[in-house]
Amino acid sequence: MLAPLTLTELVVWGVVVGVDFVTMPQALLSRPLVAATVAGWLAGNIESGLVAGITLELYALDVLPIGASWYPEYGVAAVAGGTAAALVAPALAPGVAGLVALPLALLGGWSILQLRRRNALALARRMERVSAGDSSALGELQHGGMLRDMARALIVAVIGIAVALVVATVPWETRTHAVWLSYAAVAGGLAAAFGGAVRSAGMGSRRHWLAAGLVTGLAVAFLQ
Amino acid sequence: MKARARAIWRLLAVQAAWTYERMSGIGAGHAAAPLLAEAHAPTAAIARSATFFNSHPYLAGVVVGATVRAERDEVAGEVVLRLRAALSGPLGAIGDQLVWAGEVPALMGLTLVLSLWLGWWSVVLALVIHNVLRLRLTIWSLDVGLRDGLGVGAALQRSWLPRAAAIAQRAAGFLVGLAIPVVGWRLLRNAPLPTITVTVIVAVLGAALSLAVATRTRATGLRLGLMLMGAAVLAAGVMP
Repeated sequence: MLAPLTLTELVVWGVVVGVDFVTMPQALLSRPLVAATVAGWLAGNIESGLVAGITLELYALDVLPIGASWYPEYGVAAVAGGTAAALVAPALAPGVAGLVALPLALLGGWSILQLRRRNALALARRMERVSAGDSSALGELQHGGMLRDMARALIVAVIGIAVALVVATVPWETRTHAVWLSYAAVAGGLAAAFGGAVRSAGMGSRRHWLAAGLVTGLAVAFLQ
Repeated sequence: MKARARAIWRLLAVQAAWTYERMSGIGAGHAAAPLLAEAHAPTAAIARSATFFNSHPYLAGVVVGATVRAERDEVAGEVVLRLRAALSGPLGAIGDQLVWAGEVPALMGLTLVLSLWLGWWSVVLALVIHNVLRLRLTIWSLDVGLRDGLGVGAALQRSWLPRAAAIAQRAAGFLVGLAIPVVGWRLLRNAPLPTITVTVIVAVLGAALSLAVATRTRATGLRLGLMLMGAAVLAAGVMP
């Protein structure tokens, strides 16, 4: 099991990732590939973290995080998934990462809606000052929004890492079919990435580029 | 810190106080405040800078710069508000095409493929590339707004942005397409052939469900994944 210092580092990383996704600096730290790899490194197994990140990134490729729409938050979820993956046998890393991270991505998405509602309440309380052009009110709203987002990310990260630790204690090696978890996570991820890519490609020339990429990818896979 | 540098710093957090009512308006106003203070603009200008506004966060600097320039030039308040409203939609659309549907999936697709050879170094490389591009885009967008003011719409049309968005989307299509079989092979290479076959068939069926007109709104990638995980947990728990 992980040392208290490592757990603290993982929670802090979860907060950084959560804040990156919503507030600042939106620097790609919240992509599952990044978030889970770093989590795996912190938990002592960067390779399993990377494999977890690769698996979860396939799901994230299905999502366009545009404005007011609801979308799952894979960032903090990937921190928890990467942590769980680092604590189990390598063959189970994708499955355990998916088992922890996919439900947590739903929770993360829901928590962003709550954050936006809290931001709206804070704005309503300062509406008079904002309408009068008080720049300090804008600063209060921005800093308040960041603090609320940090609290949101902290709650999701603590829940996620707690779940990751519980899942990692399951004696998976005694279950012959536990590896099916990994195949299920990979199958779902491939379906998500492919579906998302086709939808994003639309009907124009981008579909040709997607088809060219798929053919090249198949060739690379066969040559390996 | 100079007003422009403070504005750039604040643009990195433009969505911190995002609400359905004003969207990124408060963040844009917060970013514009140092520039407006430097220009000794009236408080009404600060109030205008924080009204409803929505765009891609990396391109919010365009509207911040353009409205600050208009306020400096003492353009009428209604015209400034119309400029904000007029820029909202196009900046959101082009930014989403360039970044969320272009550069980010392209870079992630490339990283997924490169991770096969570079391991976790590919992740470091992706972070560096993205953040150099992101910072340059943020600075460029503020500067083009400050330079062109009310004429920023025409300046954007003449700029590299529409062409780059088209190229980024094509790159995204190709690189995500490239990544899917490569990642599938990487994650399944140690599995027996029948298992690989079943996994690929399930993935193809899942993708078909997520694209079919009758099921596409319900069969999202996340839901498919959750269903498959649920079935696998059940199988692992029930079967010896």
